[in-house]
Amino acid sequence: MEMDLEIKVRSYSGASIIDLVGEVDAYTSGRFREMMVSVIEDGARNLVVSMTNVQYIDSSGLGALVGGLKRIREKDGRISIVCDRPQILKVFEITGLERVFPIYDNEKDAVERTDDTGA
Amino acid sequence: MADEQKTVDASLPEELALRDEVRWIKSEDLRLFRSLQESMNKIEPAYVATYPPTECGIATFTRDVLQSVAKYSPFSKPTVIAVKRDNEIEPYDRTVRCQIVKEQRQSYLDAADYVNGSAVDIVSIQHEYGIFGGDDGEYVLDLVAALQKPSVVTCHTVLQHPSPNQKRIIQELGRMCDAMIVMIKTGKQILVDVYGIDPKKVAVIPHGVPNVHRVSASSVKRALGVGADIPIMSTFGLISRGKGIENAIKAMPMILKRHPKTIYLVLGETHPGVRKHEGESYRNSLNDLVANLGLENHVRFNNRFLSLNELVRYLCATDVYITPYLSKDQITSGTLAYALGCGRAIVSTAYLYAEEVLGDNRGLLVEFGDPEAIAGAVCRVLDDPALRTELENNAYAYGRRAAWFNVAIDNLELFRRILLRRGQETGA
Repeated sequence: MEMDLEIKVRSYSGASIIDLVGEVDAYTSGRFREMMVSVIEDGARNLVVSMTNVQYIDSSGLGALVGGLKRIREKDGRISIVCDRPQILKVFEITGLERVFPIYDNEKDAVERTDDTGA
Repeated sequence: MADEQKTVDASLPEELALRDEVRWIKSEDLRLFRSLQESMNKIEPAYVATYPPTECGIATFTRDVLQSVAKYSPFSKPTVIAVKRDNEIEPYDRTVRCQIVKEQRQSYLDAADYVNGSAVDIVSIQHEYGIFGGDDGEYVLDLVAALQKPSVVTCHTVLQHPSPNQKRIIQELGRMCDAMIVMIKTGKQILVDVYGIDPKKVAVIPHGVPNVHRVSASSVKRALGVGADIPIMSTFGLISRGKGIENAIKAMPMILKRHPKTIYLVLGETHPGVRKHEGESYRNSLNDLVANLGLENHVRFNNRFLSLNELVRYLCATDVYITPYLSKDQITSGTLAYALGCGRAIVSTAYLYAEEVLGDNRGLLVEFGDPEAIAGAVCRVLDDPALRTELENNAYAYGRRAAWFNVAIDNLELFRRILLRRGQETGA
Protein backbone atom coordinates (compact mmCIF):
# COMPACT_ATOMS: atom_id res chain seq x y z
CA MET A 1 0.00 0.00 0.00
CA GLU A 2 2.88 2.35 -0.73
CA MET A 3 1.61 5.90 -1.28
CA ASP A 4 3.35 7.36 -4.30
CA LEU A 5 2.74 9.41 -7.38
CA GLU A 6 2.26 8.05 -10.88
CA ILE A 7 2.89 10.58 -13.63
CA LYS A 8 1.89 10.08 -17.26
CA VAL A 9 2.03 12.47 -20.19
CA ARG A 10 -0.14 12.35 -23.31
CA SER A 11 -1.49 14.66 -26.02
CA TYR A 12 -5.14 15.40 -26.70
CA SER A 13 -6.54 17.89 -29.23
CA GLY A 14 -3.33 19.88 -29.31
CA ALA A 15 -2.99 20.09 -25.54
CA SER A 16 -0.45 18.29 -23.36
CA ILE A 17 -2.04 16.40 -20.51
CA ILE A 18 -0.17 15.38 -17.37
CA ASP A 19 -2.12 12.71 -15.51
CA LEU A 20 -1.33 12.47 -11.81
CA VAL A 21 -2.36 9.45 -9.71
CA GLY A 22 -1.57 9.33 -5.98
CA GLU A 23 -0.19 11.98 -3.64
CA VAL A 24 1.66 15.16 -4.58
CA ASP A 25 3.76 15.98 -1.54
CA ALA A 26 7.30 16.75 -0.44
CA TYR A 27 8.41 13.27 -1.48
CA THR A 28 6.91 13.29 -4.97
CA SER A 29 6.56 16.91 -6.09
CA GLY A 30 10.17 17.01 -7.37
CA ARG A 31 9.35 14.46 -10.05
CA PHE A 32 6.18 16.32 -10.96
CA ARG A 33 8.15 19.58 -11.24
CA GLU A 34 10.74 17.93 -13.49
CA MET A 35 8.06 16.45 -15.71
CA MET A 36 6.36 19.82 -16.14
CA VAL A 37 9.65 21.49 -17.03
CA SER A 38 10.39 18.82 -19.59
CA VAL A 39 6.93 19.06 -21.20
CA ILE A 40 7.10 22.86 -21.36
CA GLU A 41 10.63 22.79 -22.79
CA ASP A 42 9.34 20.35 -25.42
CA GLY A 43 6.95 23.04 -26.60
CA ALA A 44 3.71 22.56 -24.64
CA ARG A 45 1.75 25.82 -24.44
CA ASN A 46 -1.67 24.50 -23.42
CA LEU A 47 -0.85 22.29 -20.46
CA VAL A 48 -3.59 20.46 -18.57
CA VAL A 49 -2.79 18.84 -15.24
CA SER A 50 -5.35 16.17 -14.48
CA MET A 51 -5.73 15.77 -10.71
CA THR A 52 -8.89 13.69 -10.76
CA ASN A 53 -7.00 10.80 -9.20
CA VAL A 54 -4.91 12.77 -6.73
CA GLN A 55 -5.64 11.91 -3.10
CA TYR A 56 -3.64 14.69 -1.49
CA ILE A 57 -1.66 17.73 -2.55
CA ASP A 58 0.44 19.64 -0.07
CA SER A 59 2.13 23.02 -0.30
CA SER A 60 5.18 21.63 -2.09
CA GLY A 61 2.84 20.29 -4.78
CA LEU A 62 1.29 23.74 -5.10
CA GLY A 63 4.80 25.16 -5.30
CA ALA A 64 5.56 22.86 -8.22
CA LEU A 65 2.42 24.05 -9.99
CA VAL A 66 3.30 27.71 -9.41
CA GLY A 67 6.82 27.07 -10.71
CA GLY A 68 5.38 25.45 -13.83
CA LEU A 69 2.99 28.37 -14.33
CA LYS A 70 5.85 30.84 -14.13
CA ARG A 71 7.83 28.91 -16.71
CA ILE A 72 4.95 28.48 -19.18
CA ARG A 73 3.83 32.10 -18.85
CA GLU A 74 7.28 33.21 -19.98
CA LYS A 75 6.47 31.36 -23.19
CA ASP A 76 2.91 32.69 -23.47
CA GLY A 77 1.37 29.41 -22.41
CA ARG A 78 -1.07 28.42 -19.70
CA ILE A 79 -1.82 25.66 -17.24
CA SER A 80 -5.31 24.39 -16.44
CA ILE A 81 -6.34 21.93 -13.76
CA VAL A 82 -8.87 19.15 -14.08
CA CYS A 83 -10.28 18.09 -10.75
CA ASP A 84 -13.60 17.23 -9.19
CA ARG A 85 -12.38 15.99 -5.79
CA PRO A 86 -13.66 18.20 -2.97
CA GLN A 87 -10.53 17.62 -0.86
CA ILE A 88 -8.24 18.93 -3.60
CA LEU A 89 -10.59 21.74 -4.61
CA LYS A 90 -10.62 22.85 -0.98
CA VAL A 91 -6.83 23.32 -1.09
CA PHE A 92 -7.11 25.61 -4.11
CA GLU A 93 -9.96 27.46 -2.42
CA ILE A 94 -8.29 28.11 0.95
CA THR A 95 -5.08 29.28 -0.66
CA GLY A 96 -6.83 31.42 -3.27
CA LEU A 97 -5.05 29.58 -6.10
CA GLU A 98 -8.44 28.90 -7.67
CA ARG A 99 -8.16 32.48 -8.89
CA VAL A 100 -4.76 31.76 -10.40
CA PHE A 101 -5.34 28.40 -12.08
CA PRO A 102 -8.47 27.78 -14.16
CA ILE A 103 -10.06 24.63 -12.74
CA TYR A 104 -12.41 22.41 -14.73
CA ASP A 105 -14.34 19.34 -13.72
CA ASN A 106 -13.67 17.58 -17.04
CA GLU A 107 -10.81 17.28 -19.46
CA LYS A 108 -12.69 18.36 -22.57
CA ASP A 109 -13.56 21.76 -21.12
CA ALA A 110 -10.00 22.23 -19.91
CA VAL A 111 -8.52 21.46 -23.31
CA GLU A 112 -11.03 23.62 -25.18
CA ARG A 113 -10.95 26.34 -22.50
CA THR A 114 -14.74 26.63 -22.63
CA ASP A 115 -14.87 29.19 -19.82
CA ASP A 116 -11.54 30.90 -20.18
CA THR A 117 -11.34 32.84 -16.96
CA GLY A 118 -7.86 31.84 -15.89
CA ALA A 119 -5.08 34.23 -15.04
CA MET B 1 24.59 0.07 32.47
CA ALA B 2 24.92 3.82 31.91
CA ASP B 3 22.50 5.63 29.63
CA GLU B 4 25.26 6.25 27.08
CA GLN B 5 25.84 2.53 26.72
CA LYS B 6 22.16 1.84 26.28
CA THR B 7 21.63 4.54 23.65
CA VAL B 8 21.05 3.36 20.09
CA ASP B 9 22.69 5.38 17.33
CA ALA B 10 19.87 7.18 15.56
CA SER B 11 21.87 8.37 12.57
CA LEU B 12 20.49 7.06 9.31
CA PRO B 13 21.18 7.50 5.61
CA GLU B 14 19.71 10.70 4.19
CA GLU B 15 17.18 8.88 1.99
CA LEU B 16 15.27 7.77 5.07
CA ALA B 17 15.05 11.26 6.55
CA LEU B 18 11.83 13.21 6.72
CA ARG B 19 11.48 15.53 3.80
CA ASP B 20 10.25 19.03 4.05
CA GLU B 21 9.86 21.71 1.46
CA VAL B 22 11.21 25.23 1.41
CA ARG B 23 8.71 28.06 1.27
CA TRP B 24 7.01 27.55 -2.02
CA ILE B 25 6.81 31.13 -3.23
CA LYS B 26 10.30 32.25 -4.17
CA SER B 27 11.32 35.90 -4.36
CA GLU B 28 11.87 35.59 -8.10
CA ASP B 29 8.31 34.28 -8.40
CA LEU B 30 7.04 37.25 -6.42
CA ARG B 31 8.45 39.69 -8.93
CA LEU B 32 6.67 37.90 -11.73
CA PHE B 33 3.53 37.23 -9.78
CA ARG B 34 2.30 40.41 -8.21
CA SER B 35 -1.10 39.09 -9.22
CA LEU B 36 -0.43 35.95 -7.21
CA GLN B 37 0.05 37.93 -4.04
CA GLU B 38 -3.21 39.76 -4.65
CA SER B 39 -5.08 36.58 -5.50
CA MET B 40 -4.00 34.44 -2.60
CA ASN B 41 -5.98 34.31 0.59
CA LYS B 42 -4.09 35.82 3.46
CA ILE B 43 -4.95 34.93 7.04
CA GLU B 44 -2.78 36.21 9.88
CA PRO B 45 -3.17 33.80 12.81
CA ALA B 46 -1.78 34.24 16.31
CA TYR B 47 -1.16 31.20 18.53
CA VAL B 48 -1.37 31.41 22.31
CA ALA B 49 0.51 28.50 23.88
CA THR B 50 3.79 27.26 25.25
CA TYR B 51 6.39 27.25 22.49
CA PRO B 52 9.85 25.75 21.84
CA PRO B 53 12.45 25.79 23.26
CA THR B 54 10.04 25.00 26.10
CA GLU B 55 9.92 21.21 26.16
CA CYS B 56 6.34 20.02 26.39
CA GLY B 57 3.84 18.36 24.11
CA ILE B 58 1.75 21.51 23.62
CA ALA B 59 4.81 23.55 22.62
CA THR B 60 5.79 20.98 19.99
CA PHE B 61 2.21 20.73 18.77
CA THR B 62 1.93 24.51 18.43
CA ARG B 63 5.13 24.77 16.43
CA ASP B 64 3.99 21.95 14.14
CA VAL B 65 0.54 23.37 13.51
CA LEU B 66 1.94 26.88 12.97
CA GLN B 67 4.50 25.68 10.45
CA SER B 68 2.06 23.51 8.55
CA VAL B 69 -0.60 26.24 8.35
CA ALA B 70 2.04 28.78 7.27
CA LYS B 71 2.96 26.63 4.30
CA TYR B 72 -0.46 27.31 2.79
CA SER B 73 -0.39 31.05 3.38
CA PRO B 74 3.04 32.09 2.14
CA PHE B 75 2.27 35.83 2.35
CA SER B 76 1.20 35.67 6.01
CA LYS B 77 3.33 36.24 9.10
CA PRO B 78 2.18 33.94 11.90
CA THR B 79 2.48 35.26 15.45
CA VAL B 80 3.07 33.37 18.67
CA ILE B 81 2.10 34.66 22.08
CA ALA B 82 4.24 32.39 24.21
CA VAL B 83 3.09 31.35 27.66
CA LYS B 84 6.06 30.83 29.95
CA ARG B 85 6.37 29.62 33.49
CA ASP B 86 8.29 32.56 34.93
CA ASN B 87 10.11 35.74 34.04
CA GLU B 88 13.24 34.04 32.74
CA ILE B 89 14.46 34.95 29.28
CA GLU B 90 13.63 32.21 26.76
CA PRO B 91 15.51 32.09 23.44
CA TYR B 92 12.34 32.01 21.33
CA ASP B 93 12.43 32.42 17.56
CA ARG B 94 11.12 35.52 15.79
CA THR B 95 7.54 34.31 15.50
CA VAL B 96 7.15 34.99 19.24
CA ARG B 97 6.08 38.63 19.34
CA CYS B 98 4.53 38.76 22.81
CA GLN B 99 4.87 36.75 26.02
CA ILE B 100 2.55 35.82 28.86
CA VAL B 101 4.05 35.02 32.23
CA LYS B 102 1.92 32.23 33.62
CA GLU B 103 1.09 33.66 37.05
CA GLN B 104 1.14 37.37 36.11
CA ARG B 105 -2.49 38.20 35.48
CA GLN B 106 -1.76 41.56 33.86
CA SER B 107 0.30 39.86 31.14
CA TYR B 108 -2.90 38.20 29.82
CA LEU B 109 -4.53 41.61 29.35
CA ASP B 110 -1.34 42.99 27.80
CA ALA B 111 -1.35 40.10 25.31
CA ALA B 112 -4.98 40.87 24.39
CA ASP B 113 -4.03 44.53 23.87
CA TYR B 114 -1.18 43.46 21.64
CA VAL B 115 -3.47 41.30 19.49
CA ASN B 116 -6.20 43.94 19.32
CA GLY B 117 -3.73 46.51 18.03
CA SER B 118 -2.00 44.19 15.55
CA ALA B 119 -2.71 42.84 12.08
CA VAL B 120 -3.69 39.47 13.57
CA ASP B 121 -6.95 38.18 12.08
CA ILE B 122 -7.69 35.25 14.36
CA VAL B 123 -6.34 33.83 17.63
CA SER B 124 -5.75 30.11 18.14
CA ILE B 125 -5.51 29.22 21.84
CA GLN B 126 -4.03 25.87 22.80
CA HIS B 127 -5.81 24.96 26.01
CA GLU B 128 -4.47 22.69 28.72
CA TYR B 129 -5.32 23.56 32.34
CA GLY B 130 -1.70 23.40 33.48
CA ILE B 131 -0.12 25.88 31.09
CA PHE B 132 -2.12 28.94 32.20
CA GLY B 133 -2.04 30.68 35.60
CA GLY B 134 -4.63 30.99 38.34
CA ASP B 135 -6.79 28.18 39.72
CA ASP B 136 -7.00 25.50 37.00
CA GLY B 137 -5.49 28.00 34.58
CA GLU B 138 -8.44 30.40 34.82
CA TYR B 139 -6.40 33.48 33.82
CA VAL B 140 -6.85 32.43 30.19
CA LEU B 141 -10.44 33.67 30.53
CA ASP B 142 -9.13 37.24 31.06
CA LEU B 143 -7.31 37.03 27.75
CA VAL B 144 -10.24 35.67 25.76
CA ALA B 145 -12.69 38.14 27.33
CA ALA B 146 -10.47 41.07 26.32
CA LEU B 147 -9.91 39.94 22.72
CA GLN B 148 -11.58 41.94 20.00
CA LYS B 149 -10.55 39.40 17.35
CA PRO B 150 -12.13 35.99 16.65
CA SER B 151 -10.70 33.10 18.62
CA VAL B 152 -10.52 29.33 18.35
CA VAL B 153 -9.72 27.13 21.36
CA THR B 154 -8.04 23.77 20.81
CA CYS B 155 -8.84 21.55 23.81
CA HIS B 156 -5.94 19.22 24.63
CA THR B 157 -7.68 17.94 27.77
CA VAL B 158 -11.40 17.27 27.97
CA LEU B 159 -12.18 15.80 31.37
CA GLN B 160 -15.20 13.55 31.76
CA HIS B 161 -15.41 14.37 35.47
CA PRO B 162 -14.19 17.97 35.86
CA SER B 163 -14.22 19.91 39.12
CA PRO B 164 -16.79 22.75 39.20
CA ASN B 165 -14.05 25.28 38.43
CA GLN B 166 -12.59 23.22 35.58
CA LYS B 167 -16.07 22.89 34.12
CA ARG B 168 -16.74 26.62 34.44
CA ILE B 169 -13.53 27.47 32.57
CA ILE B 170 -14.36 25.29 29.58
CA GLN B 171 -17.94 26.55 29.54
CA GLU B 172 -16.77 30.18 29.61
CA LEU B 173 -14.24 29.53 26.87
CA GLY B 174 -16.96 27.81 24.82
CA ARG B 175 -19.25 30.80 25.25
CA MET B 176 -16.65 33.43 24.35
CA CYS B 177 -14.73 31.79 21.50
CA ASP B 178 -15.89 31.31 17.92
CA ALA B 179 -15.05 27.60 17.77
CA MET B 180 -13.47 24.79 19.73
CA ILE B 181 -11.27 22.09 18.26
CA VAL B 182 -10.91 18.57 19.65
CA MET B 183 -8.94 15.75 18.09
CA ILE B 184 -11.42 12.89 18.36
CA LYS B 185 -15.19 12.53 18.15
CA THR B 186 -15.36 11.34 21.74
CA GLY B 187 -13.94 14.70 22.83
CA LYS B 188 -16.73 16.51 21.01
CA GLN B 189 -19.33 14.28 22.64
CA ILE B 190 -17.95 15.04 26.12
CA LEU B 191 -17.90 18.80 25.41
CA VAL B 192 -21.56 18.59 24.42
CA ASP B 193 -22.78 16.17 27.10
CA VAL B 194 -20.73 17.24 30.13
CA TYR B 195 -20.12 20.93 29.45
CA GLY B 196 -23.21 21.80 27.40
CA ILE B 197 -21.17 23.27 24.53
CA ASP B 198 -23.12 23.89 21.31
CA PRO B 199 -22.13 21.00 18.98
CA LYS B 200 -22.10 23.37 16.00
CA LYS B 201 -19.26 25.20 17.68
CA VAL B 202 -17.01 22.12 17.94
CA ALA B 203 -14.76 20.94 15.10
CA VAL B 204 -13.00 17.58 15.13
CA ILE B 205 -9.55 17.91 13.56
CA PRO B 206 -7.14 15.01 14.14
CA HIS B 207 -3.77 15.41 15.82
CA GLY B 208 -1.31 15.99 13.00
CA VAL B 209 1.33 13.44 12.09
CA PRO B 210 4.55 13.83 10.09
CA ASN B 211 4.43 13.15 6.39
CA VAL B 212 6.30 9.84 6.36
CA HIS B 213 6.52 7.54 3.38
CA ARG B 214 6.74 3.91 4.31
CA VAL B 215 9.96 2.04 4.55
CA SER B 216 10.43 -1.50 5.79
CA ALA B 217 11.40 -1.82 9.45
CA SER B 218 14.26 -4.13 8.50
CA SER B 219 15.95 -1.55 6.26
CA VAL B 220 15.83 1.04 9.04
CA LYS B 221 17.09 -1.50 11.59
CA ARG B 222 20.10 -2.17 9.38
CA ALA B 223 20.87 1.54 9.34
CA LEU B 224 20.54 1.63 13.12
CA GLY B 225 22.96 -1.24 13.39
CA VAL B 226 20.31 -3.64 14.67
CA GLY B 227 19.80 -7.05 13.11
CA ALA B 228 16.69 -7.41 10.97
CA ASP B 229 15.70 -10.48 13.01
CA ILE B 230 15.57 -8.55 16.29
CA PRO B 231 12.01 -7.53 17.20
CA ILE B 232 11.87 -3.92 18.42
CA MET B 233 9.18 -2.58 20.72
CA SER B 234 9.21 1.10 21.57
CA THR B 235 7.55 3.87 23.56
CA PHE B 236 8.53 7.52 23.17
CA GLY B 237 7.66 10.85 24.72
CA LEU B 238 8.37 12.87 27.83
CA ILE B 239 8.63 10.31 30.62
CA SER B 240 6.39 10.56 33.69
CA ARG B 241 4.62 8.17 36.05
CA GLY B 242 1.32 8.28 34.14
CA LYS B 243 2.97 6.58 31.18
CA GLY B 244 2.83 3.15 32.85
CA ILE B 245 6.14 2.08 31.29
CA GLU B 246 6.73 -0.27 34.23
CA ASN B 247 3.91 -2.48 32.92
CA ALA B 248 5.54 -2.83 29.51
CA ILE B 249 8.85 -3.67 31.21
CA LYS B 250 7.11 -6.30 33.37
CA ALA B 251 5.68 -7.78 30.16
CA MET B 252 9.18 -8.31 28.73
CA PRO B 253 10.03 -11.64 30.44
CA MET B 254 6.84 -13.18 29.00
CA ILE B 255 7.58 -11.76 25.54
CA LEU B 256 11.20 -12.99 25.69
CA LYS B 257 10.01 -16.56 26.25
CA ARG B 258 8.53 -16.55 22.74
CA HIS B 259 10.79 -13.96 21.11
CA PRO B 260 14.09 -14.08 22.97
CA LYS B 261 15.86 -11.36 20.95
CA THR B 262 13.26 -8.66 21.56
CA ILE B 263 14.44 -5.17 22.55
CA TYR B 264 12.23 -2.53 24.18
CA LEU B 265 13.31 1.07 23.54
CA VAL B 266 12.11 3.77 25.90
CA LEU B 267 12.82 7.00 24.05
CA GLY B 268 12.72 10.46 25.54
CA GLU B 269 13.76 12.44 28.57
CA THR B 270 11.92 12.86 31.83
CA HIS B 271 9.21 15.53 31.57
CA PRO B 272 10.91 18.80 32.69
CA GLY B 273 7.97 19.57 35.02
CA VAL B 274 8.30 16.16 36.65
CA ARG B 275 12.07 16.45 36.88
CA LYS B 276 11.68 19.75 38.71
CA HIS B 277 9.52 18.18 41.41
CA GLU B 278 10.82 14.66 41.80
CA GLY B 279 14.03 14.56 39.79
CA GLU B 280 14.70 11.25 38.04
CA SER B 281 13.02 9.09 40.67
CA TYR B 282 10.55 7.53 38.19
CA ARG B 283 13.26 6.75 35.64
CA ASN B 284 15.46 5.38 38.42
CA SER B 285 12.63 3.11 39.53
CA LEU B 286 12.35 1.85 35.95
CA ASN B 287 16.11 1.22 35.87
CA ASP B 288 15.82 -0.72 39.14
CA LEU B 289 12.96 -2.78 37.71
CA VAL B 290 15.03 -3.60 34.62
CA ALA B 291 17.93 -4.70 36.83
CA ASN B 292 15.69 -6.76 39.14
CA LEU B 293 14.18 -8.58 36.17
CA GLY B 294 17.59 -9.10 34.55
CA LEU B 295 16.55 -7.22 31.42
CA GLU B 296 19.63 -5.05 30.97
CA ASN B 297 20.21 -6.39 27.45
CA HIS B 298 16.58 -6.05 26.42
CA VAL B 299 15.40 -2.66 27.69
CA ARG B 300 17.21 0.44 26.54
CA PHE B 301 16.63 4.04 27.50
CA ASN B 302 17.48 7.09 25.44
CA ASN B 303 17.24 9.87 27.98
CA ARG B 304 17.04 13.03 25.90
CA PHE B 305 14.61 15.13 23.90
CA LEU B 306 14.64 13.60 20.41
CA SER B 307 14.40 15.57 17.19
CA LEU B 308 11.54 14.77 14.85
CA ASN B 309 13.88 13.04 12.41
CA GLU B 310 15.28 10.83 15.16
CA LEU B 311 11.80 9.96 16.38
CA VAL B 312 10.61 9.03 12.93
CA ARG B 313 13.67 6.86 12.39
CA TYR B 314 13.14 4.99 15.63
CA LEU B 315 9.45 4.60 14.85
CA CYS B 316 10.19 3.27 11.37
CA ALA B 317 12.47 0.64 12.95
CA THR B 318 9.77 -0.37 15.43
CA ASP B 319 7.85 -3.64 15.09
CA VAL B 320 5.37 -2.98 17.89
CA TYR B 321 4.72 0.48 19.32
CA ILE B 322 3.34 0.58 22.86
CA THR B 323 1.45 3.24 24.83
CA PRO B 324 0.87 1.60 28.23
CA TYR B 325 -0.62 4.79 29.71
CA LEU B 326 -2.57 4.66 32.95
CA SER B 327 -5.23 7.37 32.61
CA LYS B 328 -8.52 6.41 30.98
CA ASP B 329 -9.37 10.11 30.44
CA GLN B 330 -6.49 10.88 28.10
CA ILE B 331 -8.10 12.54 25.09
CA THR B 332 -5.03 12.93 22.91
CA SER B 333 -1.54 11.51 22.48
CA GLY B 334 0.94 12.99 20.09
CA THR B 335 3.17 9.95 20.33
CA LEU B 336 0.39 7.54 19.42
CA ALA B 337 -0.60 9.81 16.53
CA TYR B 338 2.98 9.77 15.26
CA ALA B 339 3.14 5.97 15.46
CA LEU B 340 -0.04 5.79 13.38
CA GLY B 341 1.52 8.19 10.88
CA CYS B 342 4.51 5.89 10.52
CA GLY B 343 2.21 2.90 9.95
CA ARG B 344 3.27 0.91 13.01
CA ALA B 345 1.51 -2.04 14.63
CA ILE B 346 0.36 -0.59 17.96
CA VAL B 347 -0.53 -2.09 21.34
CA SER B 348 -2.11 0.32 23.78
CA THR B 349 -4.13 0.57 26.95
CA ALA B 350 -7.71 1.62 26.24
CA TYR B 351 -7.63 5.33 27.09
CA LEU B 352 -10.17 7.48 25.23
CA TYR B 353 -7.87 8.63 22.44
CA ALA B 354 -6.48 5.13 21.83
CA GLU B 355 -9.95 3.59 21.91
CA GLU B 356 -11.09 5.82 19.07
CA VAL B 357 -8.02 6.03 16.83
CA LEU B 358 -7.14 2.33 17.17
CA GLY B 359 -10.71 1.24 16.40
CA ASP B 360 -11.52 -0.61 13.16
CA ASN B 361 -8.48 -2.85 13.57
CA ARG B 362 -5.87 -0.08 13.57
CA GLY B 363 -4.27 -1.46 16.74
CA LEU B 364 -4.72 -3.79 19.71
CA LEU B 365 -6.17 -2.52 23.00
CA VAL B 366 -5.36 -3.98 26.42
CA GLU B 367 -6.55 -3.39 30.00
CA PHE B 368 -4.82 -0.82 32.21
CA GLY B 369 -1.92 -1.98 34.38
CA ASP B 370 -1.88 -5.50 32.94
CA PRO B 371 1.62 -6.69 31.86
CA GLU B 372 0.25 -10.11 30.91
CA ALA B 373 -2.23 -8.54 28.49
CA ILE B 374 0.55 -6.40 26.97
CA ALA B 375 2.73 -9.47 26.50
CA GLY B 376 -0.15 -11.39 24.92
CA ALA B 377 -0.93 -8.60 22.46
CA VAL B 378 2.73 -8.04 21.52
CA CYS B 379 3.21 -11.77 20.88
CA ARG B 380 0.04 -11.89 18.78
CA VAL B 381 1.53 -9.22 16.51
CA LEU B 382 4.99 -10.81 16.37
CA ASP B 383 3.55 -14.30 15.79
CA ASP B 384 1.14 -13.37 13.03
CA PRO B 385 2.64 -11.50 10.03
CA ALA B 386 -0.78 -11.17 8.38
CA LEU B 387 -2.25 -9.49 11.46
CA ARG B 388 0.77 -7.22 11.73
CA THR B 389 0.50 -6.17 8.07
CA GLU B 390 -3.20 -5.48 8.45
CA LEU B 391 -2.63 -3.34 11.55
CA GLU B 392 0.20 -1.46 9.85
CA ASN B 393 -1.81 -0.78 6.69
CA ASN B 394 -4.85 0.41 8.63
CA ALA B 395 -2.73 2.62 10.88
CA TYR B 396 -0.92 4.15 7.92
CA ALA B 397 -4.17 4.86 6.05
CA TYR B 398 -5.49 6.69 9.13
CA GLY B 399 -2.21 8.54 9.45
CA ARG B 400 -2.34 9.81 5.87
CA ARG B 401 -5.65 11.51 6.60
CA ALA B 402 -4.05 13.09 9.67
CA ALA B 403 -0.81 14.19 7.92
CA TRP B 404 0.09 17.72 9.02
CA PHE B 405 -0.71 19.15 5.62
CA ASN B 406 -4.28 17.84 5.85
CA VAL B 407 -4.61 19.12 9.41
CA ALA B 408 -3.35 22.51 8.22
CA ILE B 409 -6.00 22.59 5.51
CA ASP B 410 -8.71 21.80 8.08
CA ASN B 411 -7.46 24.57 10.40
CA LEU B 412 -7.28 27.12 7.61
CA GLU B 413 -10.73 26.16 6.38
CA LEU B 414 -12.11 26.70 9.89
CA PHE B 415 -10.31 30.07 10.22
CA ARG B 416 -11.65 31.12 6.81
CA ARG B 417 -15.23 30.20 7.67
CA ILE B 418 -15.09 32.10 10.95
CA LEU B 419 -13.62 35.22 9.32
CA LEU B 420 -16.18 35.02 6.53
CA ARG B 421 -19.02 34.82 9.06
CA ARG B 422 -17.63 37.65 11.16
CA GLY B 423 -17.23 39.70 7.99
CA GLN B 424 -20.84 39.07 7.04
CA GLU B 425 -22.01 40.01 10.55
CA THR B 426 -20.17 43.33 10.46
CA GLY B 427 -20.92 43.94 6.82
CA ALA B 428 -17.21 44.08 6.04
